Amino acid sequence: MVVKIIQIILSPILALVVGVFFLGLARKIMARIHWRYGPPLIQPVIDMIRLFYQKSVSHGSMFDLGLILSLAGSIVVVLFLPLGGIAPLSGSGGLLVILYIMLLAPLGMALSGGQGANPNISIGISRKLILGLGYEVPLLLVLLAVMTRYKTISIIEVVNAQQSTGWLLFSFPLFLSGLSYFLILPAILGLRPFDMSSAPQEISSGPMVEYGGKYLALATIEHAFVLFISIALFVNLFLGGADNPAIFFVKMLVVFVLGLCINAVFPRFRIEQAVKYLWKWPTLLAFLGLIIALAIRS
Amino acid sequence: MSLEILLIFAFGGALLTYLLGKTSEKIRGFLAVVIALSLVVFIACLYGKSVEKTFYSGFLGLGLVLRLNMLSWFFAITIAVIGALSVIFSLSYIKGREKTDFYFLMMLLVNAAMLGIVLAGDLVSFYIFWEIMSWSAFLLISYNKGPAIAAGMKYIIMSIIGSLCFLVGMLSLYVTFDTLSISQIASAITSASPGYIVFILTAFGITFGIKNAVLPFHTWLPDAHSEAPAPFSAVLSGILIKMGTYGFLLLLYVIMGLKLFLGLGRGLLSFHSILCLLGAVTILIPTFIAMLQTDAKRLLAWSTVGQAGYIILGIAFGTNLALAGGIFHFFNHAMFKALLFLAVGAVEFRTRTRDLDSLGGLAKKMPVVFIATLVGICALIGVPLTSGFVSKWLIYKTLILEGSPFLAFFALAGTWGTILYSYKLIHNVFLGQLPEKYKDIQKSPFTMQLPMVILSLAILIFGILPGIPLKVINTIGTSFGFESLNITLWGIASETGTLNTINIFSAVLVAAVLLWLLFRLGAESVSVPQEDSYAAGAYTPADKYHYTAEFYNPLYRMIKPFLRDVIDEFYYWIASSVRSLAGSVRRIYSGDVGYYVMYIILFLAVLIFVQMRWKIW
Repeated sequence: MVVKIIQIILSPILALVVGVFFLGLARKIMARIHWRYGPPLIQPVIDMIRLFYQKSVSHGSMFDLGLILSLAGSIVVVLFLPLGGIAPLSGSGGLLVILYIMLLAPLGMALSGGQGANPNISIGISRKLILGLGYEVPLLLVLLAVMTRYKTISIIEVVNAQQSTGWLLFSFPLFLSGLSYFLILPAILGLRPFDMSSAPQEISSGPMVEYGGKYLALATIEHAFVLFISIALFVNLFLGGADNPAIFFVKMLVVFVLGLCINAVFPRFRIEQAVKYLWKWPTLLAFLGLIIALAIRS
Repeated sequence: MSLEILLIFAFGGALLTYLLGKTSEKIRGFLAVVIALSLVVFIACLYGKSVEKTFYSGFLGLGLVLRLNMLSWFFAITIAVIGALSVIFSLSYIKGREKTDFYFLMMLLVNAAMLGIVLAGDLVSFYIFWEIMSWSAFLLISYNKGPAIAAGMKYIIMSIIGSLCFLVGMLSLYVTFDTLSISQIASAITSASPGYIVFILTAFGITFGIKNAVLPFHTWLPDAHSEAPAPFSAVLSGILIKMGTYGFLLLLYVIMGLKLFLGLGRGLLSFHSILCLLGAVTILIPTFIAMLQTDAKRLLAWSTVGQAGYIILGIAFGTNLALAGGIFHFFNHAMFKALLFLAVGAVEFRTRTRDLDSLGGLAKKMPVVFIATLVGICALIGVPLTSGFVSKWLIYKTLILEGSPFLAFFALAGTWGTILYSYKLIHNVFLGQLPEKYKDIQKSPFTMQLPMVILSLAILIFGILPGIPLKVINTIGTSFGFESLNITLWGIASETGTLNTINIFSAVLVAAVLLWLLFRLGAESVSVPQEDSYAAGAYTPADKYHYTAEFYNPLYRMIKPFLRDVIDEFYYWIASSVRSLAGSVRRIYSGDVGYYVMYIILFLAVLIFVQMRWKIW
């Protein structure tokens, strides 16, 4: 019981630290690819502390509550995810619950932004939701393939099964699904070339435009959590999870840097192009993976 | 309290409201509410009882039977509650309109007829109540005149086709088994041939499919739901179409029985998998159509078609989890869709429009309606901690574990689509900018807020403690011959994956409270008016732009060409060809006696020619 409580307190903090570190690292790596020096690694932390003490504007109670709901949702997802042996609440409904609590984050952000009454926000949210529709199709096929292969809806069992069979990413039908997940990862994270919903030069960062001060700080934390969750899910499902948090985070780091380097060189998609892309190659791969997984099972 | 007294009270009450309501508006409203509420109390008192009795045996020697078991009780209580809440909502909604006495008569009559359907123990009384329901629903749909009349027409024509199928099935059953009592047919049908069973399933399946708006019989629903008065839309979407669900349950599990139903056909060609597939398609396609709607009620209507697909999928899949999920989703859908229709009705009542492209920013003006809508769309999406999540979780889990990932994919893919259209609904009505013309809009009246508050609370309570309704549903499942589920107050325990809503609830609550404290700790934020927003240094004049119009325009451009309602066009094509055929037939009857004489002579000439040539007579 005590161990569990410590784990419950510890895992969101770990996620926060790793997520914020990733944010700083992303800026550094991007800068180096652009032949710039880039800000120091802890720049996001400095920014957040500063923002927290700055004045800000509010557009109403949903503007505040939506943001809090969104961040609360992300924190709860972390509690359900196994992080290298730490998994305090994963027995309460499995992958399906994770999938559905993950919806709280975009929904809360959208509700909060909605009350901002700014045209940039409306455009940003509209794009964000359409993009979600785009990557949800391959993502569901991927998750279903994994769940069908192991006849379970529990993420712990998927992780444990990989201890004996090896990483799913290198097992026969599911490498297709793993590849598909890797292809849609930047879309889930909102990284380039899928950053049309928060395009800074075009729609002034979209849903974030009315945020300042502590709102912006919380929104940054939220972004860090989303980064952490999507990559952690990939590591758990396809890279076999890990026995201890350290190895788990090393795996996450590799996936993140790899994804960043590949995607940093692409220009931004338009939203229609993004959806068309997502519904073409990743969906095809994921579909094949699911069909083969189903055929092998029966 | 016996069943016939209950029904006499329900029907008599409707009539009494009409007659006494002629005297004054206050008495009419008061009586309607009292009758609707006392039905709730009566039915609640019948919990757990099991009755079957013949109340009249003079009808062609067939006994008319009423019966009560857990299944009919569960449906009856849902009908009574939603019915009562929409009657309360109607009080202020319908005030000052013409023919309110007629309106209340029809509302109570529909409720009474639906109670009759779920309490009927033989097919004749089922059919009588079914027709009363269909026709009074028709009159209510057409209440608003104008386009509502066409919508009502469309509804009643499809409904009549359904009724004819029902009659065919019923007569055939009578000829074969010489009885129409449901329990006697259920025991006799086990000896019937598979071909005959498929025939019966198809005939009744069309009837119930039309009522439940399963693809391809869904075309009446969007028109009827959007044109009906809002409180009746809530009844229509919440419970009336679920009479189709009840019919399916009755047909598949009570009459056919589990073994017979699942054993019909093989593999993908079995009746059960075809019905599952229909359910899955019914989830997916309407969801995409709903995103493109700009009329709030039409959007909700398409969403109803989609959600009904989950129910059918759950019922048709035929495992104990799926059945529990299907029945629970019926219950949830009755609550949240009634809630959403009432909320849209409350907005329409104040703003006189349901056009999503011209509303906006009403959250601060109508806070209660806003929160109710928020709870409603959360349940519709299936966000955890609302009851909608639990029912969907049950369905998904069984689909995945039983090896039907593609059905699960259809069901799950509907989710993100649901987010898109339900966000559009709440954003375009309550968030975004408030147009100048709605600056002085009033709050909703109390009688409108009360039903919405009750429904929102129910959704949250049953979402955190789903064990309460699931216990009743489990009893229904075991009475159909399924294994009992291991139900706890906060979910389902099993070896293949436990659901624990209390854990989720406490985690979200603690996280939100901590974040709220952190949020309070930060520097103060200043509340600013909506015009005071960042626009890159340029001032955006109020009312110059409306940001919510054409919200999903890029998506609209992409999917519009693929989403024609081909089935509806096909039905219209049949209708117009029948009309033109009838038109050309009509030309024979010119009204001129000379022509008729010519027809007679021509006919005689043909007869004489035939006789002379072939000598048949």
